[in-house]
Amino acid sequence: MILIDKNTKIIVQGVTGKMGASHTKRMLEYGTKIVGGVTPGKGGESIHGIPVFDTVAEAMSATGATVSVIFVPPYLCLDAGAEAIDAGCELVVVITEGIPPQDTAKLIAHAKAKGTRVVGPNCPGLITPGQCLIGILPGVIFKPGPVGMISRSGTLTYEVALGLTDAGLGQSTCVGIGGDPIKGLGYAELLTAFNDDPATEVIVLIGEIGGTAEEEAAAFIKENIRKPVVAYIAGQTAPPGKRMGHAGAIISGGKGTAESKMKAFKDAGVSVATTPLEVVDAVKKCCKQPVTK
Amino acid sequence: MNLYEYEAKRIFAEYGITTSPGVRITKPEELRKIHFGYPLTLKCQVLVGGRGKAGGIKFAKDLKEGESLAAQLLALEIKGCKTESLLIEPKASIKRELYLAVTLDRGRGCPIFIGSAEGGIEIESSENVITVPVPGKFQPYIARDLAKKLGFSGALFNKIADCATKLYKLFEELDLDLAEINPLVITEGDDVLALDGKIIVNDDAIGRQKRFTGWQEKHLTDMSVREGRAKLAGLNLVELDGNIGIICNGAGLTMATMDMVKKFGGRPANFLDAGGGSDAEKTLFALEIVNENPDIEVILLNILGGITACDEVAKALVEFRKKHPNRKMSVRLRGNNQDVAAKMLADSGLKLIADVEAAVKDAVAQANSKTPVGVK
Repeated sequence: MILIDKNTKIIVQGVTGKMGASHTKRMLEYGTKIVGGVTPGKGGESIHGIPVFDTVAEAMSATGATVSVIFVPPYLCLDAGAEAIDAGCELVVVITEGIPPQDTAKLIAHAKAKGTRVVGPNCPGLITPGQCLIGILPGVIFKPGPVGMISRSGTLTYEVALGLTDAGLGQSTCVGIGGDPIKGLGYAELLTAFNDDPATEVIVLIGEIGGTAEEEAAAFIKENIRKPVVAYIAGQTAPPGKRMGHAGAIISGGKGTAESKMKAFKDAGVSVATTPLEVVDAVKKCCKQPVTK
Repeated sequence: MNLYEYEAKRIFAEYGITTSPGVRITKPEELRKIHFGYPLTLKCQVLVGGRGKAGGIKFAKDLKEGESLAAQLLALEIKGCKTESLLIEPKASIKRELYLAVTLDRGRGCPIFIGSAEGGIEIESSENVITVPVPGKFQPYIARDLAKKLGFSGALFNKIADCATKLYKLFEELDLDLAEINPLVITEGDDVLALDGKIIVNDDAIGRQKRFTGWQEKHLTDMSVREGRAKLAGLNLVELDGNIGIICNGAGLTMATMDMVKKFGGRPANFLDAGGGSDAEKTLFALEIVNENPDIEVILLNILGGITACDEVAKALVEFRKKHPNRKMSVRLRGNNQDVAAKMLADSGLKLIADVEAAVKDAVAQANSKTPVGVK
């Protein structure tokens, strides 16, 4: 189990907003145990058959939820995240894009002090196929199986998952860690979790240009991870000094190039793919069990 | 958003950091009204680095020389950026130069002070860099730590720590990505003075920093005209020198698509992330702005719908085809409502390619051939 399973109970912060409401419906349709929502001032109402509360503390004590997923607008996320952390959530998943990074830094520092795990921000969420989907991932693409996935990119996660599923390779859990420069859970924590997870045989790591997290992950894998890892880095043709969509995807001062990251992984004995579909071929080679489509 | 030096210095002054008494001019004759004596420093106001090396800073010994230098500098372009105005300052008396900045450290996930006992340098290539992270709430002792590490004592120790405290305050209150004083000067009279300054405002915070409302339009000079227009429309466009226009949803997928184009023998003309959940109007804008690039041979649209609805994209494609029926295109459209989208596009002459690599290869083949192979 990676972070969530079929018994995980979840509340949605920003449940009555446009994004929150539509994705709550999709998560419920997938079978995720969404047990409540929070919108200040709308306590006592209900949406898609689930109760709405004014505060996270109230929602948690009434429902027994341990996880919160946040869909509130960017400037309200620090407040919403702090509320979830202080109410005792074990895991907080922040979907929202465009949070000022100083807010994120404060939120993550707060979470660390309280021992709360944060996924995101600016992420698609996470999924354990067939059991639990938290966030905005398209559930239909994912199937249960032996491949664990950690990714900085949403749509690229879908692309690789689609390729894996088409090839008969399901996924144990996929975690979108987000495209921002400052974020909650990173590669090291999740690589360790997948390494210890009996359901995971192969780990796929999808990185992109910017920062040095992939170089650090490569060194971490060499020392600590015994399961096979396949890595892919997006942005091999990205020019330096330009922000490529994600706030964190920028080559600055010569640091953060795809070349440097791919070399670090190769040096650490990690199989490096150059396109999303090559990831699928590399995973096939690593799987112990024969692939049945 | 990068600010001009004169704007950064006004903000420094507001927060109590001493700056030179500067005057901004846009015409050489405005020099006649300047009350401080010669020699003067004339500095081009541009939003790119490397100004000094490019000849953007000059010294004038009198008004006559000043006017001729001003005319020359106002016409100067540095790395493709036009000079916006000139900042005129008295020549400073410099005993020592330092470097001082606050930025966000993505590795540590918190703000960090960067200092150096040498100023006027490129900090990336300096060996004497001192860093002091600010992992929790800022307290002035952290600035004193920095002053100590920079080797100060006595009255100057307090002045440097005070300047760093003020710099941190404005960094935090104005949601900056960077607040930099380079060089921070110690004058012959042992005063601390910000001789040059750089401020980068975090783009995502501009919406709540009301003083910067409407500033973005005149601070886009490190971008092409089309990149700037895309930014103002909320889209991320980065132009390159190839001939295959690329539009995708999601930053990672867009980068991966560029990489595949290159790998399969093509040349990407741009990166354009139309974003998750883009509607028909935004998608049409994306198609039009990419199509305006005269170097484009083919547009490759690669949409994998998670939250993006394929029928919204199809609606935009139908509109676009009406206006530009001859534009070569390769379209991959998969995900949410893809069957509805396929029906809508049945009469458009576009074939939809389900496989991502097949779509990229189709675009490369079209870009490299004279006849459109993507059209039925």
